[in-house]
Amino acid sequence: MANWRLRVHFFIKLLGVVLAGVILGLGGTLLMLERGVSFGAVKAGPWTASPHNGSLDVDPYARAMFAYTGELPLGAAEGIGFTAQKDSMGAPLNAHCDYIVSGHTPQARYWTMTLLSPEGLPVANAARRYGFTSAEILRAPGGNFEIALSRHARPGNWLPIGDASKFMLVLRLYDPDLNIATLSLDEASLPALIRKNCR
Amino acid sequence: MTSLDRALSTLLWLLALIFIAGLAHILTIFYLPTHFAKVPMETFAAFAKQSQLTLLPQAAPGASLTPFADPATVQGICTFDLAQGPLHVHGDVDRDRLLTMSFRTPAGMVFYSLTNRAAQKGKLDILLLNTAQLEALEAEDDAQDEGAPAQDLRLLSPTEKGFVLLSALANFPSETADAEQRVKAFTCETQEPATD
Repeated sequence: MANWRLRVHFFIKLLGVVLAGVILGLGGTLLMLERGVSFGAVKAGPWTASPHNGSLDVDPYARAMFAYTGELPLGAAEGIGFTAQKDSMGAPLNAHCDYIVSGHTPQARYWTMTLLSPEGLPVANAARRYGFTSAEILRAPGGNFEIALSRHARPGNWLPIGDASKFMLVLRLYDPDLNIATLSLDEASLPALIRKNCR
Repeated sequence: MTSLDRALSTLLWLLALIFIAGLAHILTIFYLPTHFAKVPMETFAAFAKQSQLTLLPQAAPGASLTPFADPATVQGICTFDLAQGPLHVHGDVDRDRLLTMSFRTPAGMVFYSLTNRAAQKGKLDILLLNTAQLEALEAEDDAQDEGAPAQDLRLLSPTEKGFVLLSALANFPSETADAEQRVKAFTCETQEPATD
């Protein structure tokens, strides 16, 4: 009788461990997908890029993330995309704050700077401006540029935050003069992202 | 049961838990892209005819077929199935305006990409083949042996099915129609398989 009881006890324990293990494993997967974990990512200041995403060398985590989000990454010969979800001080981007994106980009034939929702969609705004291209941006005499991110109209290069509760910035370099396979960048080669007033 | 037995038993259960959690995590990461998620190819197949260039709606607030797409670009796709024959992609490019092309597996991973800089005499001419088709074509070349280099770029596809994504950059919002024309300047067509 005692033996029989022990067995039931064992199977209940086993079932519990299997269930808990599966839940933990799936939770870990979901957490990694939500956070966008990718191996081999290159970080420079607030910007992150994954140079291997544009080839079949893409790591399994990035591959799973693309399946989850539906994103089609740029091909290695097309260019490279950098994303920023935090400012230059490391604080998460806040839609209630104004930001200044200033500096320059690595050499590339063209670049675009786009403001997107965390789901990867342009954010609705009355000015219907979702980003800037390198051709249309207003520059200082030295070639540097400054983009104001704000919910309210700003003079110069104004990129509206719209009604987004959360947002991210994507900088795409098309046909860059960079060796993408051995990419390493320092913070000064990419624009700084400085927080200004918050409301 | 001594306290040592109890500790050992707890440790074993804990190890089992870690093993199962790790297994579930790794399996979902590896199988998600091909088994659990809707691959881009399936999304496109719903509205794009195979081997025909189809413009994608431009990224706009609210909805997008391809999240994270650059709203400054106009994109077009050609889905392919090499079992039907090789895919021929060709068109004229404008030297000074950016047009990029990427060849992708059904899951959207890139196996080859290029920009309009790869154009010869203002034209891009690409033939996408599977191994058997490439070998047949090479055998044909050897038989003809005219010594003339082929004009088109031959690409070996790692998968039978997939899609080609064309993107043209509109430098200014007013250039969107022009970018659309630069994508439409391309033709995708399935070539008849060699009959011999």
